[in-house]
Amino acid sequence: MLLDFDRLGPWKWVLITITTLVCLFLLLPIVFIAALSFGSSQWLIFPPPGWTTRWYGELFADPRWLQSAFTSLKIAAIVTVLSVGIGFLAALSLNRGSFAGREVLRALFLTPMILPVVVLAVALYAFFLRIGLNGTTLGFIIAHLLIALPFSIISIGSALEGFDKSIEDAAILCGASPWEARLRVTVPAISHGLFGAAVFSFLASWDEVVLAIFMASPTLQTLPVKIWATLRQDLTPVIAAASTLLILFTMLLMIIAALVRRGSKQGTKP
Amino acid sequence: MAMTATAAPGERIARRRHAAFVWALPALVLILLFFVTPVLGLLLRSVTEPTLGLQNYAELIGTGTYARIFANTFLVAGVVTALSVVIGYPVAWALAVLPRPWGQLVFAIIILSMWTNLLARTYAWMVLLQRTGVINKTLMGLGVIDQPLALVNNLVGVTIGMTYIMLPFVILPLVGVLRAIDPAILRAGALCGANSWQCFTRILLPLSLPGIAAGALMVFVMALGYYVTPALLGGTANMMLAEMVAQFVQSLVNWGMGGAAAFVLLVVTLALYAVQLRFFGAGRIG
Amino acid sequence: MTSAFIEIRDIKKQYGPITAVKDVTLDIRKGEFMTFLGPSGSGKSTTLYMLAGFEYPTAGDIRLNGRTLLDTPSHKRNIGMVFQRYTLFPHLTVGENVAFPLRIRRLPKADVERKVREALRLVRLEGFEDRKPALMSGGQQQRVALARALVYDPPVLLMDEPLSALDKKLREEIQFEIRRIHQETGVTILYVTHDQEEALRLSDRIAVFSQGKIDQIGSGQTLYAEPATRFVAGFIGDSNFIDTDVVSVEGSHATLALPGGRTVSGVPLHSAGPGKTAALLLRPERIDLKVGEAGAADALSGTIRDITFLGNNTDVLVDIPAGKQLSVRLPFGHPMLDGLRPALPVALSFNPATVHAFQG
Repeated sequence: MLLDFDRLGPWKWVLITITTLVCLFLLLPIVFIAALSFGSSQWLIFPPPGWTTRWYGELFADPRWLQSAFTSLKIAAIVTVLSVGIGFLAALSLNRGSFAGREVLRALFLTPMILPVVVLAVALYAFFLRIGLNGTTLGFIIAHLLIALPFSIISIGSALEGFDKSIEDAAILCGASPWEARLRVTVPAISHGLFGAAVFSFLASWDEVVLAIFMASPTLQTLPVKIWATLRQDLTPVIAAASTLLILFTMLLMIIAALVRRGSKQGTKP
Repeated sequence: MAMTATAAPGERIARRRHAAFVWALPALVLILLFFVTPVLGLLLRSVTEPTLGLQNYAELIGTGTYARIFANTFLVAGVVTALSVVIGYPVAWALAVLPRPWGQLVFAIIILSMWTNLLARTYAWMVLLQRTGVINKTLMGLGVIDQPLALVNNLVGVTIGMTYIMLPFVILPLVGVLRAIDPAILRAGALCGANSWQCFTRILLPLSLPGIAAGALMVFVMALGYYVTPALLGGTANMMLAEMVAQFVQSLVNWGMGGAAAFVLLVVTLALYAVQLRFFGAGRIG
Repeated sequence: MTSAFIEIRDIKKQYGPITAVKDVTLDIRKGEFMTFLGPSGSGKSTTLYMLAGFEYPTAGDIRLNGRTLLDTPSHKRNIGMVFQRYTLFPHLTVGENVAFPLRIRRLPKADVERKVREALRLVRLEGFEDRKPALMSGGQQQRVALARALVYDPPVLLMDEPLSALDKKLREEIQFEIRRIHQETGVTILYVTHDQEEALRLSDRIAVFSQGKIDQIGSGQTLYAEPATRFVAGFIGDSNFIDTDVVSVEGSHATLALPGGRTVSGVPLHSAGPGKTAALLLRPERIDLKVGEAGAADALSGTIRDITFLGNNTDVLVDIPAGKQLSVRLPFGHPMLDGLRPALPVALSFNPATVHAFQG
């Protein structure tokens, strides 16, 4: 009936129409921006009077864009490694430990994810001003690690939930020390969770704006900070070019993630 | 190794439990040092600067300008939540029943929009919604309006941009809720004589209500504390709460007021999450 | 006593206020197939896990070859184990799974290959080296797990209900394989199960666990013919228990008053105490049944309530005095079967020396 596509009756066309419109609404800015980045109009007239790659040229000619992209990449990479590493240990502890206060600890670890980022940004900004971490790479890494970590803990935690600890016990009786068993058996078996944690951590840092605005200095900017600062001045098509590249990058990540998921499914499903 | 057989086992078990806790230490130190300490520090400043007392909170509540910001924030969050649910529900329903390739396509579009850089999306809306932008031009070309509408630098722009961002957060959890409903229940309803509309209002909608409520609450909380989109699409005249916090600290360097505003935001957020946990359990978050 | 291969001495396991295992003492000979049999929560798995080193006894000692195991962490105990659930490493092939313990022990490549081949031949899975575990049936997976547990020639193999996830036919097939492998390798096996048939089929000796302690240790025949406790009597084989009054006790034997008023004497009495009643164990196949009223030599009189044909056997349910019922088993083709029908009066008798009474 209502949950049976072929027997929806009049609902069918209502649903299809709304869904199509919503999909167009969701795609509109993405397609629009990609088109504008190749449009020749400085004033972002649409449809563009002509086509050009001038804005991409300007983007790559400005060393500050490349510099900020590189900074973003560096910070995101370090955050990813730390987030997966610390997140793995924390998730293992929450999954295996039977110590008191485990649930409190879990809630504490996930709080940075639900708190409005601006609160954390202002608080960290004040704290970093005191201890001299503002405008430093380390400051950026710490700030981004705080919001990346909950994603790692959730992703790795749910992978550990689905992993039978007896398999680790079997490896231990085979002669592997507990850490050897974890690294050689548990880690490969939960690799999809670790991969998910890495992707989410990377994106959490790479796309992060609010903390970055507060952490940035004139000499140390991430890509989102550079876009933000430029946006506040004018809506130049160079931003469209940068945004288009970011969208392509996101699609690339999505495709890789989908391929990895398919690969891991083939390995485990009978 | 030289432990006596009677003392050893107990010690070992204690050490094992201890070991599991030790693994959480790096994360715990990080959170305590760089999350709990700074947030508490900020809250402390809200009651100590410029002098000890609650004068910052009194000013926040007593001043008309700030009252309008609170009103704006709750209004926008409320409208965005309502729009997201009304638009998102049919999409979630469609996703729950659509045949595989089409469902996957819609899913991919939702995920793509969700994963696209926030600033890129907001920038697109700034351009689309401006006076000379595509939307105004199209509407004028169609003869719907003869003066361009003010769609940006006001709460209309903020609402459109935020609804765009929040839609996936309503749709994705709702799909799960709708898929979990056994279609046989609806067939049973039809056999009991309910027509299509009655099946919807008396069976499907009530069954999906917990999912709607959970999604709506989550979107409302996220919208309350949102910074980027209101700052870029709302303009300076239509500030929201998160922007106010940032303004106090960045432009006015008033840590006392900044801390107080942040604390209000924090309390409202945590209170609403507590409601969420109480009524819908931890599973529905995120 | 000290010549035992594995000695379990007074081990106890306490979880807060709950005692999971209390004072279990047990000797296991080298090459023996010993089964821990009992219902869930009886402490049999906990005892096995203490041998594996995943649980530590609150008190007591476990010795292998005269040396305590308790100071050795699990991974250095050199013990093989097959678990209840499938525990093959999902990311490794069958060959790599079996090679895992050898690689951990850093054996030369050639030895690894040879031993993996031998182990897979032992479980009859030659040629499966490159298969991924997910593509195999449950029975095959448990055979690979068996190969992995035996490939490093451990002196002891622990098996924790390894067949409980398999269906009956497959289970019997692999039970046969396990017996064959035990005979071929001579490894000492400790096997945990709650299935009495499995225990009887596989074991040299069975330790029956109940409420954290061992009720009785012995061969299947001993447990069946000479149960030491009422629990063992009820757990192994089918049984009828009837409530009787103890008339008198003569040493280890007793005279009991049966429902209906007749008495039997010379019944072996267990756990003799002050109680005035005893539960009399009557195996269904050891009761003699006769059509007609009870004579002087018969113990009980009754009426047939129901007759159930079960293939090999036919179960006859008989109403006896005091509202009780007894099940009597007759083999297929028994000459008396044709004459039986419900509501027929019958007389029941048994040899007092072959039954047991458990004083309450």
